[in-house]
Amino acid sequence: MTGDKVIVNDQTVWEASPETGLTGLYKELGLEYPKFYKMDQLSQAAFLAVELLLQAAPALKESADDGVALLFANAESSSATDARFRKSYEEDRLPSPSLFVYTLPNIALGEIAIRNKWYGEHMFGFFPNFTPDFYMATSEIMLQQGSEAVIGGWLNVRDQRDVLVFVLWAAPQEGAVRLTEATLNNLMHID
Amino acid sequence: MARVELKEELKDHIIEQLNLEDVKASDFVDEAPLFGEGGVGLDSIDALELIVLLEKYYQINVTNPEEGKLVFYSINSMADYIEQHRK
Repeated sequence: MTGDKVIVNDQTVWEASPETGLTGLYKELGLEYPKFYKMDQLSQAAFLAVELLLQAAPALKESADDGVALLFANAESSSATDARFRKSYEEDRLPSPSLFVYTLPNIALGEIAIRNKWYGEHMFGFFPNFTPDFYMATSEIMLQQGSEAVIGGWLNVRDQRDVLVFVLWAAPQEGAVRLTEATLNNLMHID
Repeated sequence: MARVELKEELKDHIIEQLNLEDVKASDFVDEAPLFGEGGVGLDSIDALELIVLLEKYYQINVTNPEEGKLVFYSINSMADYIEQHRK
């Protein structure tokens, strides 16, 4: 997901107008989950990306409720919401409880888990740049310890939307490719 | 401000403060519970936002958690509290 389009398996499935943003995509997908509107941009982006991933990889819905692990990272933590929360108490003198809730980036994983009733492992990391080693090393541990699938994610929304989600399977799947550093870099369009 | 107007204003503030984008003022039933099943289904974070709302728009502080349960029960109970405590 970039600022103006959504690509699923190399196919552009949605193009945004500046007015619609993530809310437009939510409506386009026909979802009914009112809590979406209360989420910050980070959680909204993660939520929608996983909804699209589920459409592309419906086998995820067959996993046990503790069989899906979430392994996300970004380079900005929750800084966009942190700044909004700081403004709410410094300028407006009224700290917003609903903003405070989102001043940790791993809350996005909680939103995904609640939505899908997934109770597997979670981890959220911070790196200056997309780091394939993080996904490769950590997913190996998660899969060895019993996860059927790991949903990986790179989740930046502050300066420009730069969101990638992908699924790593424990068992071979039709159409899947072997996990390598080059595979992950290709997903991020890093040469 | 007449009570009817106060309640309509209150509903608009709640929708804005709580980002209830799919909810309209007409969806509120004045005597129905705001929290839990039915009604507009608010949650615990929303309760904190309602405390902020009363301070922001009506300069009323709710500091006793037990009092909050009664104050935020419904639109009617919130309107009652505002009428009694507005400065």
